[in-house]
Amino acid sequence: MSIALFVLRRLGRGVLTVWFAVTVTFLLLRLLPGDPALAVASTNMTEEARAALLTQYGLDKPLPTQYVLYLGQLLQGNLGTSFTQSVPVLDVLAQRIPWTLLLTATALVLTVVVGIPLGVAAAAHQGRFVDRAVQVIGVTGQSLFVPSVGILLLYLFGLQLGWLPIGGAYSQNVFGFEWYGSVLSHLVLPAVSLTLIQLGSYALTMRATVVEALRDDYVVLARANGIPYRRILWKHALRNALLPATTLIGLQLGFLVGGAVLTETVFAYPGVGRGIYEAVTQLDFPVLQGAFLLLAVTVVAANTLTDIAYGFLDPRVKAS
Amino acid sequence: MTNPIPDTELVPAVDQPALDEPAVDEPAGTDGTRAGRATWRAFRRQPLGMISLGVLALLVLMSVAAPLLSAAPASFSVDVLRPPGGDHWFGTDALGREVFAEVVWGARQSLLVAGAASLIAIVVGTLVAVAGAYVPAVDSVVGVVVDLTLSLPVLPLMILVAALAGPSTTTIILVIAAFSWPEVTRLVRSQALSVVHLPYVDAARLMTGRHGWIIGRHVIPAVTPVIVVSVVVTASRAVLSAAGLAFLGLGDPTVWSWGRILYEAQQSGAMVNAWWLTLFPSLAILALVLSATLLSIAYNDARNPRNHDR
Repeated sequence: MSIALFVLRRLGRGVLTVWFAVTVTFLLLRLLPGDPALAVASTNMTEEARAALLTQYGLDKPLPTQYVLYLGQLLQGNLGTSFTQSVPVLDVLAQRIPWTLLLTATALVLTVVVGIPLGVAAAAHQGRFVDRAVQVIGVTGQSLFVPSVGILLLYLFGLQLGWLPIGGAYSQNVFGFEWYGSVLSHLVLPAVSLTLIQLGSYALTMRATVVEALRDDYVVLARANGIPYRRILWKHALRNALLPATTLIGLQLGFLVGGAVLTETVFAYPGVGRGIYEAVTQLDFPVLQGAFLLLAVTVVAANTLTDIAYGFLDPRVKAS
Repeated sequence: MTNPIPDTELVPAVDQPALDEPAVDEPAGTDGTRAGRATWRAFRRQPLGMISLGVLALLVLMSVAAPLLSAAPASFSVDVLRPPGGDHWFGTDALGREVFAEVVWGARQSLLVAGAASLIAIVVGTLVAVAGAYVPAVDSVVGVVVDLTLSLPVLPLMILVAALAGPSTTTIILVIAAFSWPEVTRLVRSQALSVVHLPYVDAARLMTGRHGWIIGRHVIPAVTPVIVVSVVVTASRAVLSAAGLAFLGLGDPTVWSWGRILYEAQQSGAMVNAWWLTLFPSLAILALVLSATLLSIAYNDARNPRNHDR
């Protein structure tokens, strides 16, 4: 009974968040100073052309009507037409989203795989060298500017050492296994940049929650029972510390996507982020709007899925 | 020996409401000043905190004294893409302009945007948080709006707004402020909620019906430490957001900023060869954000009465 209710509630919250994003976008587009026609068309056109465009997009109707029309269009997957490419925005973004998903998912996995041992090691050696080192790395990592990190890695490993490609997502004119290999080698530098800026706060949170968990009664009991410390640390304390850490990942997804926009720009990686950069240069507003909505939906979907998954893994979540 | 990096939990998400700290149960007034002095004494003993304060002071001084340090980076010259050396401290860019001048003058813009955006975000965020804590009906709305905003990808949203409104310093400040206050509200709200139900606030409510006075006299002073920390967090986030927007070409094209140096380096295609174009603005951003972060950690630690003189 409660499981169905729990899943429904999380789904409801996801839908609410998406609705909020859509409404904010609608209000921003309509209420910002400036001509709404400029947001859907180019700047130099005749008065008649402008009026025709306003009618075509329903911009001459009252605001609530426009809002309903806007929601209807979005529900049909209509994000408008790109100015520069004259194709539906959804088509432009659909070829790009897999690259962004590949990049952010890789960075997320790397962050977790490196961040958990760092946080646990720091918590286990509280106050000693390992702990200090992790905290220094953590605080510095939180202060990094994504493009700076990307450019540094690009310069070192792409240009000076020549180990890895300096841009793009795959090599031209290679097929089969070789193509997958080229995708992998193009992925390394952007994914590492994105991981480095995420790692700091993740390791610090991991450390804080494990420290907290190690103070709990069940740890004292386990030690009194003679269970080896390593086993207590990695099996008992870590498992209980994983929930807050997962919540943090959810909170940081929006930040991760922002980082991906900048990383893709540095590495000319053909994802949604690089698309945003190109749309900014060409003032292609429909693409910018579509990119934000698409990324928002992706983030919310990922968040909802992890929430639900965690509800099944940890009975305490469902109860609350 | 003081701990150079304190055990303060750096991520507020896991912070417990700090009920054992003087800020909560201690009314403002003479006691507050005494606590403030003890905090400053404890702060001075932290080397990292003092160094960060020094770096920040140096950056502020640099931006104020920019006209004395270097001519505004406008003059083009034939000395294109020269590496750093005696004549050109930080080298020159693709149009022969001094990178040193660009970094020095860029400090002004970065500090201005960070200061103005975080000031607006702090004022709005605190007012919303306190109003929410004081009036339960407002709080449920505030809580939902904050949660929803924080779960969206904010940078793409900022990009959309900045592109629509047209790049200018005012736009950038307002855009960053508009999407930063929910974070401030989240931090201040939990503290404010624990304060409004303390006995001395209830007592004040029995004495007077002037809610503005109660908020100004009791609630705001109690959340001040959280505000100080969130000023620093918000300001350093604002530096990164502003640099990010400028790097994507959405900075004010008439003013130099650290993000704009990186953007022009990328645009001119010299980004990967001329390392000095990207290294110096990157170091400036890192110095500003890192010292602000360390400062807030040192402050948090010094505020803890357990670290005061016994």
